[in-house]
Amino acid sequence: MKKLRGSVKGLVVMLVITLCGVLTGCSGEDKEVLRIYNAGEYIDESLIGKFEKENNCKVVYSTFDSNESMYTMLNSGEKYDILVPSDYMIERLIKEEYLKKIDWSKITIKDTLLEDVMDKEYDPGNKYSVPYYWGNVGILYNKKTVDKKDLKDGWELLNNKKYKGKLYMYNSERDSFMIALKALGYSMNTDSKKELDKAYDWLVKQNKKMKPVYAGDEVIDNMISGNKEIAIVYSGDGALIISENPELDFYVPKQGTNVWVDAMVLTKDCKNDDLAYKFMNFILEKENALINTEYIGYSSSVKSVYEEMQKTTYKGIDAYVVDDSNKKNEVFRYQSTETKKYMSELWTKVIAQ
Amino acid sequence: MKHLKNIIRPYIVWSIIMIVVPLLLVFLYAFTVGGNSLVNIKFSFDNFKRFSDIVYLEVFIKSFRIGLLTTAICFVLGYPLAYIISRFKESTQSILILFVTIPMWINMLLRTYAWISIISQNGILNSFLNKLGFDSINIMYTDTAVLIGLVCNFLPLMVIPIHTSLTKMDKTLIEAAHDLGANEVQTFFNITFKLSMPGVINGVFIVFITSISAFIIPKLLGGGQYMLIGNIIETQFLHVMDWNFGSAISLILIVIIIAINRVLKKFDLEG
Repeated sequence: MKKLRGSVKGLVVMLVITLCGVLTGCSGEDKEVLRIYNAGEYIDESLIGKFEKENNCKVVYSTFDSNESMYTMLNSGEKYDILVPSDYMIERLIKEEYLKKIDWSKITIKDTLLEDVMDKEYDPGNKYSVPYYWGNVGILYNKKTVDKKDLKDGWELLNNKKYKGKLYMYNSERDSFMIALKALGYSMNTDSKKELDKAYDWLVKQNKKMKPVYAGDEVIDNMISGNKEIAIVYSGDGALIISENPELDFYVPKQGTNVWVDAMVLTKDCKNDDLAYKFMNFILEKENALINTEYIGYSSSVKSVYEEMQKTTYKGIDAYVVDDSNKKNEVFRYQSTETKKYMSELWTKVIAQ
Repeated sequence: MKHLKNIIRPYIVWSIIMIVVPLLLVFLYAFTVGGNSLVNIKFSFDNFKRFSDIVYLEVFIKSFRIGLLTTAICFVLGYPLAYIISRFKESTQSILILFVTIPMWINMLLRTYAWISIISQNGILNSFLNKLGFDSINIMYTDTAVLIGLVCNFLPLMVIPIHTSLTKMDKTLIEAAHDLGANEVQTFFNITFKLSMPGVINGVFIVFITSISAFIIPKLLGGGQYMLIGNIIETQFLHVMDWNFGSAISLILIVIIIAINRVLKKFDLEG
């Protein structure tokens, strides 16, 4: 008991010391603050330190695990300056008036951005968003164990009994419904309940027949260590995984897929626009964008970086080159509340089977 | 007494803000429809009706099965452990109890991730087995994986209350039983086990409610398709953003937990 008391004392002392540190840290600080809310593992964090030093400011950096959980935080009154959501969520945030218009005269790197990522349907003319990374969704497979002929089936590969129990689906309702809708030949932005019901049946059947694991980001580590043969991944993750595990390859089914763009947006709560623009320019400036892309592995929105990576780190890896030529490819669009609710309910039932 | 009241006051305010108000909100959300902003709400039982879908009932049954299994395994492992520890001299006991609690100092997520690297397809366990010439075993993303995770995380919650009631026990009763001719087994079941019942009931209750409402361990070790009640609630709040339905499920869970608590208490009094 005595010993315990000693350690309690030690703890109290430690607590007091840290508290003092925190308090003086706060009071002695009049640096500018930038609050960034980004997806997890979506920046090389050393760049944040570099930005802080260069601009003598403090970056409060936090991360979310899905666009939906980001929206929940925003909706519950949390305040941020810069968000990095995906296309359909940006469209929603624009419609619900969360965002401030971008003053493009302050984006100095404007001309270095890829044309392909600009002016997409979710934000025509990029009034509200500065593209960060982009890509599509496809199937990552093991070249040794998956028969090349089976790839012709496109998304139906996910229903091939040979690979039962050997695949990862993506634990996200829109991506999963996208696959089912595309496999059935519908638009992934459909509002038709009949089509959604059919997609639901497809997913339920697939779940029962194939026993897939519905994974999130852990799919990256799992595929690198070769735990399963097939996985649904974003092209950028695919490129990263293949660069670590050359036994794998990536392909995009002909039935069409989702071409996505993640972009930086300014919230209406943003207090320091200049600092926010500085950050956007900083992170998309070639030197930093290269470091960042090297770390993340996604296809950069900066033209020179996108091209350079194809020649260096991701040489010969198709997943890094975003295939945007297929007419059946689409960009996710904002869903009406009713459709969204309907899809969510179906999705909860798919994974609860 | 008056002095005491002043000390208590902040706690009352605290519990109202942190417990009563959120609970009332859960109530309000559960019995209404019309979105999360509570601007134009309508009183309704729809959320509960939706829950009667067979899919959700199956999830409930599965959660209870996993909860009961976890509790049973924790009890079978935890009781002997607590009993053995209680037989040591007091100074050794506190060190042993410390060992039991040490894993709890490490974040639950880290402990769960550690299990992932042990039991995954190409993990530590399987590479070890392969070296010895055995085939790989597939534990990851099965009931077994989830049970391992739950038991390892919640075992201390079973051991500590049982150990406490075992040490608080009046030792002279055991001597008396021996004097009256009872053998070791009879003494254990008639005296020791009965007197440790409060600890057992506490342990069982705590392990059961934490395991049926767990969501992060099943998600990581069972995969995204491994749905327990906790996961459904999490999905409704964080991903689907249907707080009304999420609250309704939470409320059903709360009611069930209260009911179980009542039953166990009755059991305790009768015992």
